[in-house]
Amino acid sequence: MSLSVNRRPQCHRGPQCHGGPQGGAALALVLHVVLLVLVLGQIVYLASRVRVRVDLTSDQRWSSTQSTRLLLDKLDKRLVIEAYFSPKDTLPVTVREARVWADNFLDELVQIGRGKVVLQRFDPNADKAVADRATRLGIKPLNLRSQSATSLSLDQHWLGLRLVYGGGKQKVIEQFAPVSSFAAEALLTPAIKEVLTGEKRRFGYIEWPEIAVGSQTPGGIGWSVVRTHEGISKRYEFQNYKDEDGALLPSDLDTLFLFRPRDVTDRQKYVLDQFVVRGGTLVVFADAAEYALGQQRTMTRVPFQLDASGSELRFTEQLRHYGLDWRPQVLADVAQQAYAPRDRLRMPEEYLAVVQPNAMGFRQSVWVPYPYFFHAVHKDWSEVADELARTSDGRVDAAIAARYREVFGPGMPSEEFLFSSFQKIGRGPGFYWPTWVGLREKAAGVPDLPAGVDGRVLLWSSPAVLAEDPPQSVDPVGRDPRAAQSEVTKWLGKLHERLAAEPRQQAPLMVEVRGSFVSFFDGRAVPKRPSEIKEEKARQAAGEGGEGNEATPGNPDEGPQPAAPSTLGGAEKAAAQPAVTTARAPGRIVLVGDATFLRDDVVRGDLRQVGGPFSGMTAMPFFAQLLDWLSEDRDLVDLQSRAPVDRTIVLVDADPRPGADPRLGEQQLRRKTTWLRALNVLVPSGILSTIGLIVLLLRRRRKQRFLASLPGRTA
Amino acid sequence: MRETLVVFRRELRSYFLSPIAYVFGVLFLSVLLLLAAAGSIEQGAQASMQTFFGLLPWLCLVFLPGLTMRLWAEERKLGTIELLLTFPVRLSSVVLGKFGAVLAYLAFVLLLTLGLPLTLGAYGRIDWPPVFGAYVASLLFAGSFVAVGMFWSSLTRDQIVALLASVVSLGVLYLLGYPALIEMTAGWLPATAVDLLNGLSPYKYFESIARGVFDTRDFVYFTCFCGFFLYANVLVLQVRRQSRG
Repeated sequence: MSLSVNRRPQCHRGPQCHGGPQGGAALALVLHVVLLVLVLGQIVYLASRVRVRVDLTSDQRWSSTQSTRLLLDKLDKRLVIEAYFSPKDTLPVTVREARVWADNFLDELVQIGRGKVVLQRFDPNADKAVADRATRLGIKPLNLRSQSATSLSLDQHWLGLRLVYGGGKQKVIEQFAPVSSFAAEALLTPAIKEVLTGEKRRFGYIEWPEIAVGSQTPGGIGWSVVRTHEGISKRYEFQNYKDEDGALLPSDLDTLFLFRPRDVTDRQKYVLDQFVVRGGTLVVFADAAEYALGQQRTMTRVPFQLDASGSELRFTEQLRHYGLDWRPQVLADVAQQAYAPRDRLRMPEEYLAVVQPNAMGFRQSVWVPYPYFFHAVHKDWSEVADELARTSDGRVDAAIAARYREVFGPGMPSEEFLFSSFQKIGRGPGFYWPTWVGLREKAAGVPDLPAGVDGRVLLWSSPAVLAEDPPQSVDPVGRDPRAAQSEVTKWLGKLHERLAAEPRQQAPLMVEVRGSFVSFFDGRAVPKRPSEIKEEKARQAAGEGGEGNEATPGNPDEGPQPAAPSTLGGAEKAAAQPAVTTARAPGRIVLVGDATFLRDDVVRGDLRQVGGPFSGMTAMPFFAQLLDWLSEDRDLVDLQSRAPVDRTIVLVDADPRPGADPRLGEQQLRRKTTWLRALNVLVPSGILSTIGLIVLLLRRRRKQRFLASLPGRTA
Repeated sequence: MRETLVVFRRELRSYFLSPIAYVFGVLFLSVLLLLAAAGSIEQGAQASMQTFFGLLPWLCLVFLPGLTMRLWAEERKLGTIELLLTFPVRLSSVVLGKFGAVLAYLAFVLLLTLGLPLTLGAYGRIDWPPVFGAYVASLLFAGSFVAVGMFWSSLTRDQIVALLASVVSLGVLYLLGYPALIEMTAGWLPATAVDLLNGLSPYKYFESIARGVFDTRDFVYFTCFCGFFLYANVLVLQVRRQSRG
């Protein structure tokens, strides 16, 4: 660093010199500083314009995903992004941050778009014509209050986008105010995809409202949150196909969701059968029982029937016919890895918690071990065969261990992209009172699938699972909050006792079969539609029975006959199609062993205040990815599966042995935590202190030697 | 360069020979690791150094002025600065040598904290590249604080004054980038001024590197920031040398 101030300014005018030598030096100093500030300011400004950015995180947390890059690669025309943004310095601070995220992401898009993405900026605040145009396009300004030292005003701020693809298709984002880079990408990339493909895929659904419990109003809780969520509804369309008169489903419908089926009539079974035989995809979120949640969380069983009264056919039998085995039993997984929440300190209510006052008197949620709420664990359970085969005297039964190694497998065996993000976090979505949904089996657990049908289990529980007919009550806490802890311990003890007495098994939690299905109604009478039955009864009453409708069950080879072909409308035409008994196209059935985790109140977190359960963290991503998986749309999977890698600290592994005392584990955990913390604090400080001490002693010794070496001094 | 190295070695050795550096180091490490370990080593928590790097700037704010206050003030107090200024060395070399020595010492202290990420890595899957990035960011951040502390130390003979001036100026500078304070100042300052002040604060640049994003902008900022204060330091010494000459 060279210093020009070394050359001291000389004044040759003697005392008349303005300010003298000192004044000149000071002036030069000030000039130096001002110039330096200007130069450095310019450098920093230029550096912020021309920059190189590298994301060091292994999962590229702060960069756009492969989905966005692949999508932009697919652009064969120019994508113009018109940004209707107010100037940054006029925005309130709260919105300015969003503007920064938006700018960063748009800049990145232009960069990776390599000429195919063009960004045009407009300032609606500066030009009224631009503001009018933005309003006409549907961009909505934010009306925000701004405050200065002397004034208070309500200002309009614009943060809208319009995407125009190839000069034709367009999409408007009314307000683009992302709170992070993730949010920016999650908002814009699906919009780009929409403008690229131009249409939404349609899904059908049927849901059955919640059953009334005591004074609670029935029907208030459904499954609409997952269907209407912004990220999903932007890309997919849902249509309710619940038809009380049992019309057949339209042939252009690919996929139908059943949310917690109950009271299924024979006619509905026929409709579903025809749907899969004709090549449709049926996705069933099944529950074996309904338990009361609500603010009281009584957890008592609510009367629940899978098949409608008067139904001659059983829905489980129908599924069995397609190669599925739904045992309407409730499952509890006693392995702690399966039922402990991801973060039991910050979010104990993910599964179940009780609200208790802490030492300071504040109310806080305390996690309750509750094996009926659990998830599939991304772990190969054959690895713990030895632990599971350990007898009470600590010996490993080699024969049993060998059999366990053979029988048990990974909790999440599928390589499908549906599960990739969940595998990253080490666990599947959390299920609440799940039920057994597997493949139809012969003896010794060999799958017994119909000819032409393939199937696989996609999620498994741990081997420490208990299956039972739905009990009347599954409340671990009881009504007395003071006795909650002892009640839970007693309750868990009973489960462990049961586990010790029962054989080890893994329960299937999600299953898929696909192939050419033969109709369940092949050789059976086709159930009549309610309107037909009504008409028939009316005719019989009027003495006209036996005429008109020829679709009388009895001759299975002929199938159903249309009631009155000449007078049929659209829906009736669909209803009146002849029965198909052999597959027209390959169909697909996916059976998920829980519907509660997708229920509105559980997804929204209505019960968080009372201690859960709350499935918002996993249910929404699971449902969104399920839709992509069913549509075989991999475009946005990276975006959807942008779950952070599971970096959970496991200081002490849960003891997988049945009957293990959880208190011992807690003690061990406390000891280890304290020890590790102390080690981390004391070792570095100790090293530094030791070095300091050694240096001090050496110096003292040297000093003493030096003093001793002085003439006239002895050591 | 040779002159800088000579000063650097002399200064560094003086650190390792003086008890104050050990007292500083032990105190700094104990407080930082005590708080960070309590917040990070926890069953079920995420294996992340977020707590550690969240605390580090605050501890730097409290502890670093204690380390830098003596850099010039002590030389002035003991009268050794007169000797130093008469040496045929460039003042920039002296300043850079001293600055480098403090940074090297801080790097050594930070090195001693590696046990924490190693522990977290042993019991969870820690993401190492951002951790290393954050260590580099910490060093840059600490460097900027050292440069400011050195500047104040060169202005005064009294170490306490240097300490207080450093703490106050660094505190203000750091808080200028703090979201809550920006929110507060936005009410009575023009938006451009808020942006400018926010841009001056090392807060957002440190945050950016510490979360795992290497951005040339942040490095340029820290280099310019340190450069400015070190240059100012040289100017102060230069003026002093001239006033004696």
